[in-house]
Amino acid sequence: MLLAPLVAVAGLAHDVAPLAGDLEIKDGRLVAGFDLGPAFPPDLRKQLGNGLTNVVVLHVTLAPVPGEEPAAVYVRETEVLYDVWEETYRVTLRDPGHPRGHHLTFAAWEALRAFLAEVRQIDVAPASILGDRTWVVSARVEVNPVSQELLDRTRELIANPAAGARVGGASRSVLGAMASYLLGKGATGADVHVFRSRPFSARGGAIR
Amino acid sequence: MSPLSAALLALLAAATPPPQSGGEGQAEASAAPRRYLVERVVLEGLSRTPESLVRRYLLVGQGDLLDEERVLLSRLRLAQRGWFSRVETRLERGSERGRVVLIFKFTERNTLLVSDLALGATAPQPIYGGFGLSQQSLLGMGMELSGAFVYGGKPPGLDAPDRFSLRGSFFDPDLRVGRMPPVILGLTVLWIHGEEFACVDPECSGYEGNYAGAPRLRYSRAGGEISFGIRPAPFERLIAGFRYERLGATAATGGPFIRPGASSLCALTGLYERDTRNDLFFPTEGSRLLGQITFGSRAFGGDYEYSRYLLQLETDFGMPRGHALRLSATAGAVQGEAPFFDRFYAADHAYFSIGPALGRALELNFSTDSRYDALLLVGGAEWGIPLWQDGAFFHRGYLALGARALWSAERPRAGRTAASRTPLSAEAALRLDTPVGMFNVSLGYALDVFL
Repeated sequence: MLLAPLVAVAGLAHDVAPLAGDLEIKDGRLVAGFDLGPAFPPDLRKQLGNGLTNVVVLHVTLAPVPGEEPAAVYVRETEVLYDVWEETYRVTLRDPGHPRGHHLTFAAWEALRAFLAEVRQIDVAPASILGDRTWVVSARVEVNPVSQELLDRTRELIANPAAGARVGGASRSVLGAMASYLLGKGATGADVHVFRSRPFSARGGAIR
Repeated sequence: MSPLSAALLALLAAATPPPQSGGEGQAEASAAPRRYLVERVVLEGLSRTPESLVRRYLLVGQGDLLDEERVLLSRLRLAQRGWFSRVETRLERGSERGRVVLIFKFTERNTLLVSDLALGATAPQPIYGGFGLSQQSLLGMGMELSGAFVYGGKPPGLDAPDRFSLRGSFFDPDLRVGRMPPVILGLTVLWIHGEEFACVDPECSGYEGNYAGAPRLRYSRAGGEISFGIRPAPFERLIAGFRYERLGATAATGGPFIRPGASSLCALTGLYERDTRNDLFFPTEGSRLLGQITFGSRAFGGDYEYSRYLLQLETDFGMPRGHALRLSATAGAVQGEAPFFDRFYAADHAYFSIGPALGRALELNFSTDSRYDALLLVGGAEWGIPLWQDGAFFHRGYLALGARALWSAERPRAGRTAASRTPLSAEAALRLDTPVGMFNVSLGYALDVFL
């Protein structure tokens, strides 16, 4: 019985915030616009202005309720590079509309933040797939995600041979402990924010 | 880099057309790459870790053209050493246009961790406990120094020596001598004064209400092991060592095997480990294979002729909703006249045992079950359910639900040793990742104490 509350909160690996914005059907497409401001707090300025390339990846998914696999996915990758000599932010945006990259320059942090946080007119999916079902749109913002390939290139086996290798095995304890070495979020600097819309459906050509 | 080429680079950088500003503060821009020269590499925030040690892991240096991938790889290499809770990088302007200063900013982490924490009780031993600490980066040099003890005191009702177990170890995962490739160096010392009940039947009549009068084997162990190794590949380790222990034992009839009086154990050891798990705390992919061999022989100056083999395999899988599945298997065999502590104690490998057997604490056995086996087979599965991450003190936590089947035998064809009334055991544990170590609040262990 003690385990029940633990199981109940299982799966909450990331906090999910409500997704603020608009969904509409336009020219037969489901089009979305969001405010992702909480993913870009003021203190992110220091990181995005560090003079090195920072990557912001936005995944928008459309999934039926109750939870099933997404029916549509939109991905936008934005590279932000603050030039310490020019004192400007160079941005390269890649999404389905700009597969080779769209280059922009921002002179001020405020303008850059608005560009990153205010997502407009995303073409999520054809409206015809909505049918009578109930759906939810989720947005996942990753700041500087570290690829598995990069991690694999830098990982090494450096931990002490595990206690299990000792003659006689590890000591048993109520609170057994062992050393930790591997990368955590704090060490890599990667950050993830997840937003989710209220459930909606399409009736009479409008989102309800 | 020559001053001329540096000047050319500076000129190139200066010649890059300045970006334009447009409406709402943004403008279309070209994708012209930057060509900056790293004028200096500055390390900030190091109080315990020597700069020279950190610079070993940098893939970028003064005079290099700025290569962002090498900066990122350097940052990741340093982050995974375990010395820092955060590694950040940034650029600042250099002394002239086209030059930059590359800055690594470190937040050093606590490297003193709790490695062992034991508290237990058995029928003949009302309470015993122990503690262990591990300094993961000795003097900021990346070497590990650990110490642990378990204390049980005098056996109740007897004027006998205290029982205790002390263990200390030193481990350098990356010892560099001159221009030689880095090697692994390990040193372990131990000192144990212990007892084993000598009745063959762990529930024999000799124990009924009077453990003080039960036959016992008293023994002592003092010695250690020195080992050297290499990393043939990033995820592999190959270690060879020599182990020496001075043993002493009182004569006892029916107890586990050890030569009476003074004796010596001299053995060569070998260990191969391949660990590709993506996380030690909550792995969701990868595997760990460990093979260990021990050869004890009179040829090395000891009194015991035996060999011991242990093979352990663990594979981890990420499952839906962030859950994880861990499958594990262990096989072990001992040949020859190995002292009892180099055989397999079944309760060490089970989540719990129904009966008097209880997993040992730093190799001290406080139960009445003194059966040690020559053959061991264990198979298990564990389901992990993540509960939280990004916590303050308790960084991460997950619920582990496991089941394990264990078979062990005193010798081939001897049949299963009934250390537990059932070969199956199960676990429900809360595992916590904290700045001072990883903790396991185990229902299986609590059951083991009371069953």
